[in-house]
Amino acid sequence: MTAVTADHHVPTAPSQHGPFRRYVFGAGWIRAAWMFCLFGGIGFGLTVLARWGGGWHPILYTQPIVLLSLLVAAPIGFLAGLGTFDYWTYYALGHPTRAEDHSGHGARSWRDYFRVNTDHKVIGVQYLVTTVIFFLIGGMLAMLVRAELARPGTQFFDTQTYNGLFSVHASLMIFLFVIPAFAGLANFAVPLMLGAADMAFPRLNALSFWLLPIAGVMMVSSFFIPDGAFACGWTGYAPLCSSHQPLGAVFFNQGVQWAGASSIMTALNFLVTIITMRAPGMTFWRMPLLVWANFTTSLLVVIATPFIAGSQFFSMFDHVMHTAFFDPGNGGYALGYQHIFWFYSHPAVYIMMLPGFGIMSEVIAVFSRKPIFGYRLMALSLMAIVVLGFSVWAHHMFVSGMATWLRVPMMVTTLLIAIPTGIKIFSWLATIWNGKLHFNTPFLFALGFLSMFVIGGLSGVMLGAVPIDIHVSDTYFIVAHIHYVLFGGSVFTIFAGMYYWFPKMTGRMYSETLGKLHFWLTFVAFNCTFFPMHLIGVEGMPRRVADYAPRFAAWNMFISLSSFALGASVLVFLYNMITSWRHGEIAPSNPWRAMTLEWQVSSPPPTFNFTEIPQVVGGPYEYGVPGAVHAILTPSHATEVPAEVGV
Amino acid sequence: MVAHAEAHLDHHEEHPPVPHYSSRISPSILGMYLFIGSEIMLFGAFFTAYFFVRVVNGTPWPTPPFHLPVYLAFINTCILVTSSFTMHWALTSVKRNNPFGLRAGLLLTFLMGLTFLITQVAEYLRIGFNTGDGAFPTIFFCLTGLHGCHVFVGLTILLFMTIRAFRGHFDAAHHHGVEIGGIYWHFVDLMWILVFLTVYIL
Repeated sequence: MTAVTADHHVPTAPSQHGPFRRYVFGAGWIRAAWMFCLFGGIGFGLTVLARWGGGWHPILYTQPIVLLSLLVAAPIGFLAGLGTFDYWTYYALGHPTRAEDHSGHGARSWRDYFRVNTDHKVIGVQYLVTTVIFFLIGGMLAMLVRAELARPGTQFFDTQTYNGLFSVHASLMIFLFVIPAFAGLANFAVPLMLGAADMAFPRLNALSFWLLPIAGVMMVSSFFIPDGAFACGWTGYAPLCSSHQPLGAVFFNQGVQWAGASSIMTALNFLVTIITMRAPGMTFWRMPLLVWANFTTSLLVVIATPFIAGSQFFSMFDHVMHTAFFDPGNGGYALGYQHIFWFYSHPAVYIMMLPGFGIMSEVIAVFSRKPIFGYRLMALSLMAIVVLGFSVWAHHMFVSGMATWLRVPMMVTTLLIAIPTGIKIFSWLATIWNGKLHFNTPFLFALGFLSMFVIGGLSGVMLGAVPIDIHVSDTYFIVAHIHYVLFGGSVFTIFAGMYYWFPKMTGRMYSETLGKLHFWLTFVAFNCTFFPMHLIGVEGMPRRVADYAPRFAAWNMFISLSSFALGASVLVFLYNMITSWRHGEIAPSNPWRAMTLEWQVSSPPPTFNFTEIPQVVGGPYEYGVPGAVHAILTPSHATEVPAEVGV
Repeated sequence: MVAHAEAHLDHHEEHPPVPHYSSRISPSILGMYLFIGSEIMLFGAFFTAYFFVRVVNGTPWPTPPFHLPVYLAFINTCILVTSSFTMHWALTSVKRNNPFGLRAGLLLTFLMGLTFLITQVAEYLRIGFNTGDGAFPTIFFCLTGLHGCHVFVGLTILLFMTIRAFRGHFDAAHHHGVEIGGIYWHFVDLMWILVFLTVYIL
């Protein structure tokens, strides 16, 4: 658990044994497979034993057995088999520690991406590839939803399956794409930007990545169990989800726990890294805004995520243990679920947006060749959003029947959030103003983000007002709003970040032509898909319903066709990423002439980032300022830095 | 990826740079404090559920005909609070290079924690109601159960610490393991006092 120091220790593989033993018992996928089964069996045995001992009948009751053996014990076995716990187990059992040999650090071949790796750069790539896979699955589900909605009446799916489709779509996009994709980009960039060799806790970092595929597979696999997936929306409102849903609801509850644990561990790691691992001279007011954004986001995650864990525990206990948290017939308080859930999930909206703000600050300053406007206020407005973000949760509940006196205070705080957000928007505009603009793909996505996020933000202000919210609650207006802030906002910033750091991650340039094609296809198809939803929403088309009134048919056909075009635009992105990674032009160390530290080392960076920790001497965004220097590096890494960064 | 591989052919000769710490607090202790912050919020969610059931819904506490064994829980509380003092004794001992105090302190802490947990399991078995018997049992089992899980985790950590202490892995210069585990154990104790007050006394 110590930081990256020369004196921490890791056990090496049991090399004194034969190749067969190493194959079966050494950390890796073989051991993960049999330990998955072994732990699942142990979980099964313990549950049956406890039910038998407690005299609870039937002893072979599906829900607790599936929960404890398949969704809790077996994934722990998988993690143990893969080797995420090796060092800690070794330490815990009281063995003397051995010198760190860095055998689990860095990637020498593609195989190193498929094992427990403690290098933050490898983990960043692992995160991004995994999240893009879940993005594709989630997108596929969205197109199935749109296929069903293309015409009124039911075409392809029964209503329960349809509800499952959009529920899993939202859960994947939120818990397996937007939140972890930001974690992946930050994992790659933040330690480099701070001038550190790695995160503070590299092994914890590896563990938090490997929790993620477990959560994703759990949510997707809920389609293949009897009675189908959870079908009460990603919000999983109780008592609908806690007592009237098939076994799939438990898959959702537990999947969220794994994803939540992953994001708490990552956030804790970021906070400790940012507080304790900054290079000399890197004061808080010299940190790049991406680091600030991840600092504030991590605060939100550490404070708020336990609440969604709580809400999913309660919902699951109601389901499996027949407790009465949200069962009004038995003394429970049904609205309690929404309060606890939204106390996390409103801050989660900012967890899904603040890292994007950080990416935008990097991209806009670099491609405008100007210092970021209002640097300190940019950082402080992030903190303001964190604080205000905890005081607005009940604006999701205006029509829920909660205490009416809560409405107006929540409306006021909601509208107040427009102020720090507005500060950021106008600061970006002021940064672009009179800049020497370079319209590369990351900057195009940044401009797309600015315009789309303003639309989403404005409909957010409308929804914050109680009377409008009451009118459009649970209509397609909400669907339009959330997609403008989460797709036009978050996903555009993720694309911008992926293109921006692609040369640094892979050492190769992406195709600029295909990147621009991807942007324009996405931008047009996105607006065609989601803008009309505002109109049909105001007219009263309800969301989360498989069938609708015939008068909405024309717009829905248009939306469905546009959504398929939006899906096709992702193929351009994939093709660009895959071919550029394999055959792209070799990237220079600093293709964007950026000042932040990650661009001052080779592309891809050396295994330990820096030969010596750099000395920071100035701000990170002094573009165009004569003689401005951000940091001084040891000569071997500073060779390719152009003399005049500020042009 | 090819380029990536080529750039790292000399991987084995590379070494991490000498790290620079920008804060006086040790990373692992800061990490433990942040983790405890997160844990407090998890308890916060459970206390929110308690608030909804007991204050908003006005559920009678304890709901007749159920009883809570307050005296037993009080004795249990005393045991757990005492274990915090023995934990502190272990930590001050290791800082003074006193292995006997460290071992005795950790062993006593572990045994008292174990006594607490066994007593609580016995209490569950004889309490006369189950999770499905309404809102009061729900909150009772979930708050004490969540705390019980934390005691279990704390005991696991204590067990490992004790093993390492008896093998002589800790001394005045290397006592991070004791310190971090100790912080967690104190947190578990303080949380119990809160749970005891809200569930049994109020």
